[in-house]
Amino acid sequence: MGKKLKLSGADMLMRALHDEGVELIFGYPGGAALHIYDALFRQDKIEHILVRHEQGATHAADGYARSTGKPGVVLVTSGPGATNAITGIATAFMDSIPMVVISGQVASHLIGTDAFQETDMIGISRPVVKHSYCVFDANEIPKIVKEAFHVATSGRPGPVVIDIPKDMTAPDNLFEYEYPKKVKIRSYNPPVEPDENQIERAVAELLKAKRPVIYAGGGAIASNAEEELFRLNEILDAPVTNTLMGLGIYPATHHRFLGMLGMHGTYQANMAMHNADLIIAIGARFDDRITNNPSKFSPGAKVIHLDVDHSSVSKIIEANIAVFGQVKNSLSAIIKLLETKLDQYNKDTLQPWHDQIKNWKSSHGLNYELYKDESDENPILPQAVVQHVYNITEGKAYVTSDVGQHQMFAAQYYHFDEPRKWINSGSMGTMGFGLPAAMGVKFAFPNEEVLCITGEGSIQMCIQELSTCLQYNLPIKIININNEALGMVKQWQDMNYGGRHSQSTYQNSLPDFVKLAESYGHVGIKVEKNSELKSALEKAFSMKDRLVFVDVYVDPAEHVYPMLIANHSLEDMWLSKDKKT
Amino acid sequence: MIKRKLTLIMENKPGALVRVVGLFHQRGYNIESLHVDPVDDFTPYKFIEEQLETKFKENEISRLTIQTLVSDSLMRQILRQLNKLIDVIAVSNEETTYLKGVLLDENLL
Ligand SMILES: Cc1ncc(C[n+]2csc(CCOP(=O)(O)OP(=O)(O)O)c2C)c(N)n1
Ligand SMILES: [Mg+2]
Repeated sequence: MGKKLKLSGADMLMRALHDEGVELIFGYPGGAALHIYDALFRQDKIEHILVRHEQGATHAADGYARSTGKPGVVLVTSGPGATNAITGIATAFMDSIPMVVISGQVASHLIGTDAFQETDMIGISRPVVKHSYCVFDANEIPKIVKEAFHVATSGRPGPVVIDIPKDMTAPDNLFEYEYPKKVKIRSYNPPVEPDENQIERAVAELLKAKRPVIYAGGGAIASNAEEELFRLNEILDAPVTNTLMGLGIYPATHHRFLGMLGMHGTYQANMAMHNADLIIAIGARFDDRITNNPSKFSPGAKVIHLDVDHSSVSKIIEANIAVFGQVKNSLSAIIKLLETKLDQYNKDTLQPWHDQIKNWKSSHGLNYELYKDESDENPILPQAVVQHVYNITEGKAYVTSDVGQHQMFAAQYYHFDEPRKWINSGSMGTMGFGLPAAMGVKFAFPNEEVLCITGEGSIQMCIQELSTCLQYNLPIKIININNEALGMVKQWQDMNYGGRHSQSTYQNSLPDFVKLAESYGHVGIKVEKNSELKSALEKAFSMKDRLVFVDVYVDPAEHVYPMLIANHSLEDMWLSKDKKT
Repeated sequence: MIKRKLTLIMENKPGALVRVVGLFHQRGYNIESLHVDPVDDFTPYKFIEEQLETKFKENEISRLTIQTLVSDSLMRQILRQLNKLIDVIAVSNEETTYLKGVLLDENLL
């Protein structure tokens, strides 16, 4: 028998991360994490990215995770390091993104004494993690790491925190290291394969439906179900809508794609959902931005709900048929059974439904195309910015976004044909997400175009990461849709508060973003005229090896439409400032 | 709203209880009363050991009872949310038992 390797807790942690396949860590050092940082220094397998704020580390790891499907890894110190990470952990939690966050903690004998930089990280993070571990015995580090990655990535994914008191990583205490090959947590057993009986019931409904809609969300992306979804609809030929989180899981340029649904969804997507006789929900959870008033939601529809999380089904909208399992597997099972019954299905029965949808689409499409006038007397419209960016990048870029009007314009006008290319904070709506998330994507895909569509409000929440981008030479393109206001807040104030713009403008206090970009060592371009927009964007994208910050001044009065009318059904929308359905 | 009793079998690990209590607070469910005991007689829980292919050891699990005031529709949601907690092994109300992936149509705890 060979002698087992003896390592300190910190070295075991590094080895375990490497054995788990981790290549990148995003983090920021400090006292309680210094043993770990020293172990990091003494190895060369794992690369560490030094961010400028722990929130940036979590969003970067999140962007890495969303774009690759692999868990993002974060390392922070105790106290302020840990609390700074909370917003990013919550962001990942709300969107079910796999992440492992390692936080240093004060030494075990100091816990509970209000020691320097002591904070109860397990307690503070508890409502926004899938699970958490505190290390009380250094021997357990390999096992805890193994479990943490398993929990973060399986079932409905989510962030897991490992809090490590400093003495657990002390260099002079050595332990026998062995990385567990298998992991079994007896009280954790997320469903994988669906129940056959439910599959049969689902297929029976699919064969009968006259007005079906496929409604797919982030869970379908998490389950990597794009091929299955596509195959299913080769058979069904049904209209498909995606949630904000699901964009890209079905090709946006496909003729059966309705666009996004919900609060700022397309007219045809919301109308189709409302008038459907069958909704096939795939990894989507009927969030309040989708249903509007649940009691008025799609009154005539039966619901088939495919999800890995029991608690997401029949939470808001009662499912007629619940299919628990990895949605990829559930879709495969449905396809397999459908393929034996093709003689019982006739695509043509959906024709009246398609005709109806076509009518909706032509009566109220996304209407910017209809009223744009790109002469220099008119201000630049934010939609035009996204449209040009879409054309220049041929729809192939990874696009991260922040939160506000610009985010909705990006979702509406950048048409994603592939999953994992649209990276945004859907459920938390975290301003500041976009730039660090783009860094995470760029580390994962250095040869791909990565851009961040942001607003002058959001970008200032993690602007310090421009410095990280210089250190690691990340040629991201930042498209700042500058309406000189917290536009989405202002839109609500226009619509619901008599136009009283309480604290949503900055009274001429915005920085000169061109100089700001330059002082961080990057390129800045300012655009104020329609006639300059296209060439400025082309110029930015032609600078392949530079980060370019394009500051585009747009019409501050523009609103995002359609917009659901609060507390009504999905049929009730504002279509423009003075027109509703 | 009806007063209902929930029973949980969970891992006796640091932080497990606060996850359960925290979930009630976080999701706006109410707690009328709460009681925890370590489990030393495993005979009533043989079916869990069989189902999960495990063997309970001394001090490993505890039994928690919670009285709560809830509507019927919320009941199922609470059970499912509790069942999702990783330290919770099984949870039941008067009619059903959620044992991780498995739903059983009676109160077995
Ligand atoms: C951290 C955070 N604080 C506050 C909000 C509320 N909020 C939502 S959108 C928005 C305005 C965003 O302004 P900007 O980034 O300029 O985008 P715009 O709507 O103008 O396109 C605010 C303040 C939020 N989502 N996140
Ligand atoms: Mg703005």
